[in-house]
Amino acid sequence: MNVAAKTYQKGEIPGVIAIKASACKGCDACKRHCPTGAITGSFGATHSVDVDSCLSCGQCLINCPFGAPYETSDTVDEVIARLKDRNTTVVGIIAPAVRVAIGEDFGLPAGSLVTGKLYGSMKKAGFEILDNNFAADLTIMEEGTEFIVRARHAVFGEKSEHGAEIGPLPQFTSCCPAWVRLVETKYPTLIPNLSSAKSPQQMAGTVAKTYGTKVWGKSAEKIYTVGIMPCTAKKLEASRPEFNNAYEYNKKNGRALTDKPYPDIDTVLTTRDLSRLFKKLKINLAAEKDADGGSLLADYTGAGTIFGNTGGVMEAALRTAYAVLTGEELKPLEFKPVRGLKGVKSASVKLKDTKYNKEVTVNVAVIHNIAENIKPVIDEVLSGRSPYHFIEVMNCPGGCINGGGQPIYGNGSSWLGAIRPLFAWK
Amino acid sequence: MISQKTILKHPLSVRIFHYLLILSFLPLAVTGVFLYFKPLSESAMNLTMQIHVVAGVVLTLDAIAFFLIGFNRVVLFLKRIFYFSINDIKWFAILGGYPQKILLRKKVVVPSMGKYNSGQKLFGICVLIGGTILIFTGWILWALPHLMPREAVSLLGTLHTFFAWVLTLFLLVHLFLGIYMFDDFKAMILHGKIPYDEAKEMAPLWVEKEIISISENSY
Ligand code: SF4
Ligand code: SF4
Ligand code: SF4
Repeated sequence: MNVAAKTYQKGEIPGVIAIKASACKGCDACKRHCPTGAITGSFGATHSVDVDSCLSCGQCLINCPFGAPYETSDTVDEVIARLKDRNTTVVGIIAPAVRVAIGEDFGLPAGSLVTGKLYGSMKKAGFEILDNNFAADLTIMEEGTEFIVRARHAVFGEKSEHGAEIGPLPQFTSCCPAWVRLVETKYPTLIPNLSSAKSPQQMAGTVAKTYGTKVWGKSAEKIYTVGIMPCTAKKLEASRPEFNNAYEYNKKNGRALTDKPYPDIDTVLTTRDLSRLFKKLKINLAAEKDADGGSLLADYTGAGTIFGNTGGVMEAALRTAYAVLTGEELKPLEFKPVRGLKGVKSASVKLKDTKYNKEVTVNVAVIHNIAENIKPVIDEVLSGRSPYHFIEVMNCPGGCINGGGQPIYGNGSSWLGAIRPLFAWK
Repeated sequence: MISQKTILKHPLSVRIFHYLLILSFLPLAVTGVFLYFKPLSESAMNLTMQIHVVAGVVLTLDAIAFFLIGFNRVVLFLKRIFYFSINDIKWFAILGGYPQKILLRKKVVVPSMGKYNSGQKLFGICVLIGGTILIFTGWILWALPHLMPREAVSLLGTLHTFFAWVLTLFLLVHLFLGIYMFDDFKAMILHGKIPYDEAKEMAPLWVEKEIISISENSY
């Protein structure tokens, strides 16, 4: 552990990414992918990560041509040990972007959707399945309704039903832990603008250790939750000490068997980690038969599915907000203006709030690749000039689909549209 | 009697190209070794890399300029280094007689050579191919890594390191023999000319087949 780290709470992993000095060529390529300038070291010298400004997003790791960055947290063997323990129910919480990427590691064409094979492989390994798409649907309901509350408060002065404080507009999404950490460490005045909804992973962990106890017939203490994510920052998110809501809830309801708090998510495996786990257990995902999730917790809608792409959260949230405000479904269901790889996408939606019988225009923006695109948007918000009411932010270029925990695709890179030469010097 | 006649072996354009090569490749090799082992402080490593980059740019410009301005010399050079005969095998069998001459102070019969002996031809081929690869990979690694897939950049990095080592080690031999053959060294560094007698001994085929006498006493 880096004892000098100042921007972490007790118990958090202080920086998931480090750079192996012996492999680093000092080429500077990683710096151009880092959203916070957390990589130190002059051009030509060995580089290292300043853990206090690092968001643990893993973009340097997937883009370093020489494989120098590595993850400091590797719990593959720990998960295998839990899977072998008959007293423990290991719940795998699979994020949307994992199922379209893991096939690559087993020789399937890049982009193959392998949900059934993934379920089959996970069951073979001994996991119970909680599809994170299910939790993404929960997040959408939360974020969508929270946005309506904030908007009605801003436009009609509506008060909170429970007397709680209502956050300001624009509302930022909060499901990307790298983005949340950027706000917390660099722009703390914007914390109230972040949606108060937890990320799908954290909602899933809480559900698994509360509602899931009935589904799997095990006490929360015997349920071991594993987030399976395209994202290295999710490892840091899961280690945040405040994320033990299931324990608090169970304790309050007399269902906690111990005084020792347990986390909602016990550990996180990236997509790469999961394929390593399968390989260690001699499971060939490509050859596995399709299986289903086995419980309601593996059911989900199309809205949860698109979370992994830039614009996905916004599109899903807009569908919810539209339905709640107008009482009708958004038609067409696809909200195309927020799709695609443009750095900052914006759109306006006119909708009629049936409660107030008034037409309102909602301006939304979708930002990904924050290393390149976030600064002007934040400056506008800080200066009070932002035209937007709801802003989705995803750290990684393209969204979680290109997250720092995904299989490293040797044939591509995350440089979106960069053409001009970059002359490294200092 | 020793003849005073000389032969122009390295015309001015070649010498200028070679001066710039010395100015660029020597710093490139030295800084490259430092960059490989990374023994210095951060600021010193940065300076090392900056020198490496500047020297790399000089080398690139030098190569392009020579290719454009001295195109006929480039063609001649290519013809010479890629011309092989049985003599080359015989030459390598005794390593041009140098080990015998340097270590045993013994003169052995060396197969007749053209303007470049077999060792120089091999060095020329390595410089041509290795140098081109080093320039190409160096530019991608420095300025254009984003235009290549990640694994391609990694492969180019490996190629860069491999050819850098090949040429750096060859350079040591080249420097040693270059200075050992002092007349040739003076010709390349100073005036371009070598004594006729020496040329006749070291490169008889060149003298016989390619050299045209301008006048009896001409230099
Ligand atoms: S991209 Fe990799 S090799 Fe280059 S400086 Fe960064 S960590 Fe080092
Ligand atoms: S993990 Fe992300 S924030 Fe941290 S050094 Fe790497 S690119 Fe920068
Ligand atoms: S965009 Fe997705 S993968 Fe990238 S840091 Fe955010 S949550 Fe993780």
